[in-house]
Amino acid sequence: MLFSRRLMLGLAVAGTMAGAFAFPALAGEGPTEIDLFFPVPVDGKLARDMGTLIKEFNETHPDVKATAVYTGSYDDTLIKTRAAIKAGKPPAAVIMSANFLLDMQLENELTNLDSLIKADGTTKEQFLGQFFPALQGNAVINRSVYGVPFHNSTPLLYINADKAKEAGLDPSKPPQTWAELTDWAKKLTRREGDKVTQWGIAIPCAYDYCGWMMETLTMSNGGRYYNEEFGGEVYYDTPSMLGALTWWNDLIAKHKVHPPGATPGPAVSTSFISGNAAMIMLSTGSLTYVRDNAKFAYKVAFIPRNVRNAVPIGGASLIMPAGLEADKQKAAWTLIKWMTSPEKSGWWSRATGYFAPNMAAYKTPEMVEFLNKNPDAKTAVEQLDVAKPWFATYKTVPVRKNLEDEVMLVLNGKKQPKEALAAAQKAADETLKPYNAETSLKLP
Amino acid sequence: MSLAEPAALPVATSAAPRLHVLKRFMGRFKASLPAYLLLLPSLVFLALFTYGAMGRVLVDALYQRATPKAPVRFVGFENISAVLADPAFAGAVVNNLIYAVGTAVPSIALALLFALALSRTHAVNSALRAALFLPVLIPMVAASALFLFIFLPNVGLLDYYIGRLLPVLPNWLGDPDIALYAIMVITIWKNAGYYMLFFLAGLQAVPEDVMEAAHLDGAGPYMRLRHIILPELKPTFLFVTVIAILNAVTQVDHVFVMTQGGPSNATNLVLFYIYQQSVEHYDIGKASAATLLTLAALMGLTALSFRTMANREGGP
Repeated sequence: MLFSRRLMLGLAVAGTMAGAFAFPALAGEGPTEIDLFFPVPVDGKLARDMGTLIKEFNETHPDVKATAVYTGSYDDTLIKTRAAIKAGKPPAAVIMSANFLLDMQLENELTNLDSLIKADGTTKEQFLGQFFPALQGNAVINRSVYGVPFHNSTPLLYINADKAKEAGLDPSKPPQTWAELTDWAKKLTRREGDKVTQWGIAIPCAYDYCGWMMETLTMSNGGRYYNEEFGGEVYYDTPSMLGALTWWNDLIAKHKVHPPGATPGPAVSTSFISGNAAMIMLSTGSLTYVRDNAKFAYKVAFIPRNVRNAVPIGGASLIMPAGLEADKQKAAWTLIKWMTSPEKSGWWSRATGYFAPNMAAYKTPEMVEFLNKNPDAKTAVEQLDVAKPWFATYKTVPVRKNLEDEVMLVLNGKKQPKEALAAAQKAADETLKPYNAETSLKLP
Repeated sequence: MSLAEPAALPVATSAAPRLHVLKRFMGRFKASLPAYLLLLPSLVFLALFTYGAMGRVLVDALYQRATPKAPVRFVGFENISAVLADPAFAGAVVNNLIYAVGTAVPSIALALLFALALSRTHAVNSALRAALFLPVLIPMVAASALFLFIFLPNVGLLDYYIGRLLPVLPNWLGDPDIALYAIMVITIWKNAGYYMLFFLAGLQAVPEDVMEAAHLDGAGPYMRLRHIILPELKPTFLFVTVIAILNAVTQVDHVFVMTQGGPSNATNLVLFYIYQQSVEHYDIGKASAATLLTLAALMGLTALSFRTMANREGGP
């Protein structure tokens, strides 16, 4: 097996070399060839939709030939982009998880888009003004634009309306506060002796999702999770996060209405579809999946608050890696602007379930019709009014994992929230130390 | 050197030995030139994709950046000591040891059991062998995706069937006490059929006449197993053990798919730790240092087992 893999690599290299020899003849005359790296973070149909989109672009733009390259998950896309940059052949554009931008900018891996915006004769304010304000925090770093929002999400509360009615609850008046949610979860939990046959609520916790849910709960408890202005600080050991984690733990240990342990996102959505969990917190990105598979009436609602209504955004932005040649940069910029235009943005939103970041997309006739047919898609957009940026720090992933590992211990009953958060803070401070040594602690 | 050569030496002139050696070397080289030429293509690929990469790892392990904007500088063995001091690495090594022993022993025992039960060839046994070998044919990633659904808490296949018997359903992959063992079950399920093949082959080599003689002498099935079959299978055991241990270090596809090393690093194995360092922490120096340490351990292990094997071949 090893040998065959090696052989295939060899063949791939040989193929690339042959390609390199064959292509110079074409360069200069033909269209500018560019690659677009794209991930598929949810179910498989996205790859086909992307193919359709790029085909349309190539047909309407004869001077550019774009190729869509599928690069796996968000994390895989970061790895492959970094590998391509290191090899000196960066792709011209990448759909990158919105919270990786800061980390990439700190590593000097991003093209500053300010000059391209200026060359178009628009100002930064006008350009950013097209998008929902909540999305700008993850696209702008040090007052320069580094990313263009492409598809985005927020967390939602999904409710099994049939089960709610059975329990004597009114699904048209979903829980607004943590107190109400706890009450609903108690009423929706079914027991046979000690055994639970139906859980009141389930919240996912696997690497990536766990950090996002902790940010959701912390924000609705008044907290911030991280310093939005500076990549060297996170606020793990704080009252707002302690309250959030304690409540989550109480749902498991005290009220016994939430399944114990850390449960990944797909397990949570399956649990909801099968009727095993009556309420779940999940991304907007799962809405199409739930709509297609639920055999019962469901309802989506805002994430309930304890202190205030606030949620983080999720999703991805289009970026350009650093070190591109001028003609490729120009071609990629054309592609990026085309993909984020109201029409295309709306089309992609309807195909995937993400919401369209371009506000004008919701004024297009197709979108108005779609929302009339699927009013549940509106909730995510309405929640954007209270949405805030997604945590992004120096070394975002390890810093997030520092917290997630401790949260998982709490959800499994192995640690108390207070000591877990103190440990998470200590670990994160250690991970952030090199960056602080260069910035906040570098004194004259 | 043969004993006759020293006697011939004094006869030669003072300059000759060097010329002699050179000539002999050239001669030998000329003789083996076709062999080298035949090996050249694979040597080129080995150099490009194996030795080249290993050399690069060696170099990368010696360099580090102090802060994100600082240039990469030579740090010598600092990366290696940083890895050794990292509790996450120690945790991964401990997990990997538990994983190696906990997968090698049961899968080898099962493989031997299957092989002994199915050693005689007839239609039923062939069908059973095929059935036991089937997991080997399923790619690890696909198998992990399947088991992801089997282990799904509350609604998965496993909980659906044994859920009625247990008072509280365990969260198979979400509980740090259980997750590593859940992962081990998949490895055993997948590898036992593969190792069975080696034992089946080994059983063919057990001399028929010795078995018959033992039978005539009145040795029961246990005596035959203990004193004839198992000693004859010793080289197979050794080989399969080495393969099983190498697998325990190099096959971590299911960790990627199912747990990502979690919850709380409970299923973090050494190879996954290296992946985390290079990809998530973007720390090439530390990742290379951890790779070197793993490589050294694996090479030591392989050398030891080959020596043991060579001893057996030569010795009684």
